[in-house]
Amino acid sequence: MSRSIKKGPWVEPKLVAKVEKQSKAGTRNPIQTWYRRCTIIPEFVGHTFMVHNGKTFVKVYVTEDMVGHKLGEFSPTRTFRGHSKKEAAPPAT
Amino acid sequence: MPRILGVDLPNEKRAHVALTYLYGVGPALAKRILGELGIRHDVRAKDLSDDEIAKLASHIEKNYAVEGALRRQLMQNISRLKDIGCYRGLRHRRGLPVRGQRTRSNARTRKGPRKTVAGKKQAPKK
Repeated sequence: MSRSIKKGPWVEPKLVAKVEKQSKAGTRNPIQTWYRRCTIIPEFVGHTFMVHNGKTFVKVYVTEDMVGHKLGEFSPTRTFRGHSKKEAAPPAT
Repeated sequence: MPRILGVDLPNEKRAHVALTYLYGVGPALAKRILGELGIRHDVRAKDLSDDEIAKLASHIEKNYAVEGALRRQLMQNISRLKDIGCYRGLRHRRGLPVRGQRTRSNARTRKGPRKTVAGKKQAPKK
């Protein structure tokens, strides 16, 4: 079920503070964060985040289209490298 | 056979059913459209006057996304998800279910026909 509109989007206040600090200073350093559940708000556009995926930080450059999604959507938590191949077929006799 | 936006409407169906032959118009929207234009539901499609057909066509085209426009809109929504590289976009790219359904079994609608992988040999008989 989606979140009630009444409440508005959930944004981590600390993250907003960091972004605003950077915007004022005019710097665009990647911001390391574990707040995967934080909604991307228009103020984030143009900033880069390092979003934790449980193991490493994935670099996410926020574009206008991403507004309204959560940071975690851009940092996959699972790796799937395909199914194991059958051992090489025995040579024909 | 009356044509609306490049789609043939079946002659013998009542107007509100005939309109559902348009992609993007279902029973509810069909009735609403007829109501907005003050056309009776129960006339057969073949009995609609040319004037009414023209009115329907222009009204639908102006106010609702149907047929090609709707298909294009859908494609755009999906390609947006793919472009921004979010989880839903990745699932669309791989042709897997997008909304968190299980994939261990089922999910055949998205995955298509089964691709059987030769597995372990069966336990030898005694």
